[in-house]
Amino acid sequence: MSTVTRAADRIESVPFLDRGDASLLLVLPGLFVFSAFMLFPVLYLVGISVTNADPANLFAGEGVVGVLTFGDAAFVGLRNYADVLTDPQFWNSFGVTWLFVATSVTLKIGASLAIALVVTSDLVRGKRLLRALIIFPMGLPPIFTITVWRGIFSSAKFGLMNQLLSAVGFGSVAWLSGRWTAFVAYNVTEAWLAYPFMVIITVSALQDVPEELHEAAVVDGAGFLARFAHVTLPSIKRPVLFASILTSAASFQQFLIPYVFNQGGPARANELIVVYGYREALAFQEYGRGAAISIVALAFIGAFMWLNVKKGRLADGVSD
Amino acid sequence: MLFDAIARKLAGDAKAIAATPARTLRNWSYTVRAVRRGELPASAVLKVVLSTIGATLVVLALLFPIYWILTAALSGSGSSLYTSESFTLFPAEPTLKPFVWVVGDLILPAYTVSAGVPFTDLAVVFQTPGIELLDASEFGVDRPSEFKRFLWNSLTVAVPTVLIAMSLIVPAAYALSRREFLFRRKILFVYVLMTQVGGGLGVALLIGMYALYVQFGINDNKLALAVYYAATAVPFNTWLLKTYMDGIPVSYEEAAVVDGAPPWRVVTEVIIPMSTAGLATVFIFVFLTGWTEFVVAQTLLGTENYTLPVGLYALVDEYSIPWARFSAFALTFASPIMLAYLFAQRYIEGGLSFSGMEG
Repeated sequence: MSTVTRAADRIESVPFLDRGDASLLLVLPGLFVFSAFMLFPVLYLVGISVTNADPANLFAGEGVVGVLTFGDAAFVGLRNYADVLTDPQFWNSFGVTWLFVATSVTLKIGASLAIALVVTSDLVRGKRLLRALIIFPMGLPPIFTITVWRGIFSSAKFGLMNQLLSAVGFGSVAWLSGRWTAFVAYNVTEAWLAYPFMVIITVSALQDVPEELHEAAVVDGAGFLARFAHVTLPSIKRPVLFASILTSAASFQQFLIPYVFNQGGPARANELIVVYGYREALAFQEYGRGAAISIVALAFIGAFMWLNVKKGRLADGVSD
Repeated sequence: MLFDAIARKLAGDAKAIAATPARTLRNWSYTVRAVRRGELPASAVLKVVLSTIGATLVVLALLFPIYWILTAALSGSGSSLYTSESFTLFPAEPTLKPFVWVVGDLILPAYTVSAGVPFTDLAVVFQTPGIELLDASEFGVDRPSEFKRFLWNSLTVAVPTVLIAMSLIVPAAYALSRREFLFRRKILFVYVLMTQVGGGLGVALLIGMYALYVQFGINDNKLALAVYYAATAVPFNTWLLKTYMDGIPVSYEEAAVVDGAPPWRVVTEVIIPMSTAGLATVFIFVFLTGWTEFVVAQTLLGTENYTLPVGLYALVDEYSIPWARFSAFALTFASPIMLAYLFAQRYIEGGLSFSGMEG
């Protein structure tokens, strides 16, 4: 029985706080606003995706009636979907997106675990200050951070990364003009953007690991690695898993990094799926196609999240 | 009442920070004496010192990009970025000129107020004193940035966002945490699903939203944007605050009820004060949603209504970035948030600990 049910039971025993569905009224406003701004655009997007909408015909209608008829755009059935699903460009973007999710999430988890272990170590003094400093980047606007990282990975000889390379004796690299070097740059930037969030969650999970378990393991003669594998990891698994799922959703929808770095280039090779849909719609004026791509992306991210919540049993006591 | 509590805590924090050097010194001398007396092996101390240095280096390496951009802002021309000199730890000729360019003139002009005295030809003329805090042209800055206009736009977006979102989130979180009602589990499930998807979905939905907003004629409307931000903030923050409230023992409420407090007083006197940390976290997250969002704002707003992030990116040219100005602009824009973060750090950690994650 979860804490909440227990809490609810106890509240019920209090005379006038009686159980009533009236409390639903407290939740409805938020739910309504959220649906109005999230679900309605999704429905509208589905609508656009089966028309040949472009700026010229979509905005031709007048006011509210124009919204319902999608302006003068004509119904084309599933043609946009057929076009998109047979386009190699789509499959490239699709593949790159999942690859990005896999690599960036691995990098994020590894880096955050390492950082969290460092700033919770018993041997380190001034941990509070270090932890305060470490979540600093979370307060920076992403658009600023990403533009700065674009400067760091600048192809010019005096970008910070190239200076670092030349300091250790390598030549400079044209980071953003090569497909895979740009991909590496995306990953590093994404990891730097996401680490404060991951570290906060990991640190608080690490602090909840009972000290007695560690002491018992030390008495049993377990070394650092053994303790990490058998005591620390099992205790922090759930929160870290949870953070990983959230952050993989963020990776899947990453838009700003490719967009700011090189518009998903070079030559559209690294267009993550959201960038691909956005550019088809707003750079190439193909609203119908862009909408179809967005719907496909939404379907995948929705399925991915649903699977994770079900499998990861994140909503224990919520879904039953 | 709530603010009193926060102010007291902040004062406590400030005192603790001020006392830190003295305390550290005392600890050190204590350790040194213990080593001298042979109560503490020197190797243990050395281990701690080395690990601390190592950890500090790790943290400094992580924060290096921020430092790098700060030196760029101070170096005037941005020389540490794209010149033949390589990176230097300190700018050669530090200057605050880029910051002056960002802030621009801070001049309250003098107004002349005249009032005619009735039945006479006399008039009383007042001249209000002009207040000149900063005159950009004195520093050789001719055309300062439009920072102040962007700031105003950002504030008029972020403040309504916070007001709307908090009034939606707080009651819902309370109900989800403490009451049992129809669809409660279903709603929670949807919210958990939407936690991270909420904000990011914006881009995927952008085409639909853009079309809708243009057709309703609200695409250049800051209030409409604020409502949208509030909507995207609802699932994650409601759920966050709910898990936080789950951690508050019910016995406090029961005690209040036994003492005869009506339900609304239970909320204002028990729940709200006890969830300060959760509220602070949610407040900051919601504020940041409106303060830092870029893509939707850039697509929907016209030049007149650009918010700070959009204004910042507008400085970036396709081929060259005026680094000094860019970073001065960005740092001025980000520094209040970073300060708030430093102070609210403990609340954010507490609020994000997911201690009550089991629904």
